[in-house]
Parts: sequence; structure tokens; C-alpha cells
Amino acid sequence: MNDHDIQNRFEELEAGRILDDLDAGEIKEWELLAKDPRCKRDFSLALTAAAIEAEFLQFKQSELPETLKEKLRTDIAEFVIPVPATVVGFPAWRRILSATPFAWGVAAALAILLVTKQFLQEPQSMQPPSLAGVALAPAEAKNQLMRKAVDLKETDFGGLANYGQMTGKVIWSDTLQEGYLTLTNLPVNDPAVRQYQLWIVDPKRDEKPVDGGVFDIPATGAVVIPIRNPVAVNDPRAFVITMEQPGGVVVSKQQIVVAIAKAS
Amino acid sequence: MERAMQQCITQYSGLVLSIASRYVKNHSCVEDIVQETFTDLWKSANRFDPAVASESTFIGMLARRRAIDFVRKESRQPQFEPLADTESLPHLSIEPTPFIRGESVDITAAIQELSEETRKIFSLHFDEGMTHPEISEKTGLPLGTIKTRLRRGLIEVRNKLRSADSGNAPQPYIFINS
Repeated sequence: MNDHDIQNRFEELEAGRILDDLDAGEIKEWELLAKDPRCKRDFSLALTAAAIEAEFLQFKQSELPETLKEKLRTDIAEFVIPVPATVVGFPAWRRILSATPFAWGVAAALAILLVTKQFLQEPQSMQPPSLAGVALAPAEAKNQLMRKAVDLKETDFGGLANYGQMTGKVIWSDTLQEGYLTLTNLPVNDPAVRQYQLWIVDPKRDEKPVDGGVFDIPATGAVVIPIRNPVAVNDPRAFVITMEQPGGVVVSKQQIVVAIAKAS
Repeated sequence: MERAMQQCITQYSGLVLSIASRYVKNHSCVEDIVQETFTDLWKSANRFDPAVASESTFIGMLARRRAIDFVRKESRQPQFEPLADTESLPHLSIEPTPFIRGESVDITAAIQELSEETRKIFSLHFDEGMTHPEISEKTGLPLGTIKTRLRRGLIEVRNKLRSADSGNAPQPYIFINS
């Protein structure tokens, strides 16, 4: 058999595996081929089978018994990070930020799963704490970071397209997991229509950029914006500002990329 | 976050229950599978990638896997040799998984393009939940033919969904090559 035939055979066995109809001999054959570098494998057949099944079952879905719903609700508690009911101060905010990556991963992914509005518009107690709760004003906090950080990285922002007039810098400390943007000449935005959103690109951590927070430009002039990274960022290679819907998005379509600061 | 999880249960528990019920008849076991599927979901939600699959397809895949694993254990069928952790989910797949949106209209169209015999077998398997021997008995076709038709039909539908989605895949994240 040539490579093409081997791949075809493997794909047929993979389909059998997904349909759960392999016999013992085929299971052995599948296991051997799965380790063969000539056999390429992805999850497309498993996803296709799930999609077909969901299609056939769409009009047959049953209601979950109330007792089972209650069990599922109880199970949720194991995966939820308790968040204080009121706006919290700086120490509590840092503690929440340092929650396990797993827990934050669940939060982030659920936001994707439920695509958005309800999650982004949760009551105050469910949102990341407001900046109003942070003890220091951003400009003062930025100066303090510059004094105490020993690994401060500084990168210039460059405005794109219609934002060519903007200038700015980002400072970031991997050790302290803290950073600030200083931006000048960004157009004032109407938060009810659109908001700026920061993204942190850290390829060593994940191919997906980390949401660095939504912010507004309320007036012309220079502004200092604190970076709000919900997960640890250890080697940011770039910071990107996009313009998004109010509340921000979980995954940017990059329809409006405002500015980029790329590490040298 | 809790509210989002609650909504996820509201939105997808019917699908998960239906899939589990298709494979397992014991009511108590079905409930266990539903619970385990949602536990899988909470644990793996950070691996969900909207660039690879829709939410319902992703959750359906988790439910199917749980239900089939249960059936295999119960029937003492040969188990697969465990692979590395990369086996677990699309996000970690060995090869990047092409986008499978699983839109109802595309699936219906793809199934319609199958041969009449394969469509019939698909319906008996995916709709009526029949096992291969049951389909063989009902249709009079040899068991080997049922297996082949189902496997090749699945591959064919996957290929059609891929080509249907090829122009619609969301842009997979952003930005620049660092």
C-alpha cells in the first residue's frame, strides 16, 4: 500500500472507531496505524458524527428531570471561583487574578460557549472588579511599578490606518504581572457604541491572545490604562488594541485594529 | 461564571440527555452519563475552540464519547490502548482539525447527497438508534455492508461539511507573527 492507501485505510478505521463498530482485529490495526507518522488524524469525524446525531435528535430532545438538574447545579460548585459580592479592593483583585489557570480557563471558555452578552453583562458581583476598587490611580500605580519592577519591558505603540496620529507606550513586568498603557491622541469613544479592547499576544502561553481588558478614552490627551490580564502572561511578544462592541468580545474578529506594540 | 454554567445546562442538557438515552436504556445509568458529560465539559471548556466546532457539536461529541465508553465497558468489548493526552480533545489534536460548523442545513444537504441505501442505514442508526446487527436484520444487508456504508457515509458527510464550511470558517484568532 502507498501512503495514500494507508491514510485511507486509517481513516476508515477511525470512522469505525467513532461509530464504535471496530472488531478486535481492527482495534489492533487502528492502534498500530495511529502511531504511524504517515497517518494523519484529527477530530473531524468525531465532530461530524456528533453533528449528525444532534441533527437527528433535534426534535426528540427530552426535558431533564428536576432531580438531575439539581445534581448538575450542585456539581457546578466544584468548578466555580467564589467572587466577593461587592466591588473589591486591590489585594482581593490580585488574589482573584492569581486564581488557578484552570478556573480562569473555565470562565473564559464558558464566555465563548455562551457567546457573550449575558456573561459580559453579569451584575457587578460577577464581573472582574471595577477599577474604582483599585487603591491607586492608574498614573500613580504606573509610576510605582516603574520604581519597583526590575524586569520592566517597554514597547512603543504604533497606530494603524485611521489611528496613525496616536502614540503610546506599554510597560510590563513579567514578575509582577502588572503593566500599563500610556496613550495619546486616541479618538474619544462612546462606550455605548464601541469600546477599545487590549489583547496580549504570548505565543509561549497560548496561540490565542489574552484579553487585556476593555477601556474607554473619555477625553483627548494622554491617558494611562492598567492592563487587566485574567491569566498569567510570561513573555508577551505584542500588545494589540482593537475596537469592539460595548463590553468587549472573547475572540476578536480584528475588524478594527487600532494599534500594535510589538516587542523587538 | 456560575450563571453562565447554569445557562449551559439549560441550553444543552436536553441534547446530552437524548444522546445518552440513545445508547443506554437504564435510566439511572443515563443520568450518570449526563452528569459525567457536564463534568467533562467544565473540565475541558477551556479547550473549546469556536474555530473548530460549534458549541452543540462540541458538547454532543463529549456526550457521545461518554455514552459509547459506557457501553463498551458494560459489554466488556475490547478497550482501546490509551494514547497520550493529545487524544482527548480537538484543541490538542495531533493535526489541526478543520472547521466543522455542523449547521443543520449543511448536514441535511450532505445526508441527502448520500446514496439511498446509505441514507436509510444512517436513519436507522442515528435516528432510531439501531445497532448494526439490528439494521442488518431489518434491511437484510450483510453486517459488513452496514459497517462499510456507515463508515464511508460518515467520511463522505465530513468531506461535504468541510467543503460547505471552507468559505465560512471564522478567522482563527489573531494577530501577528511574533
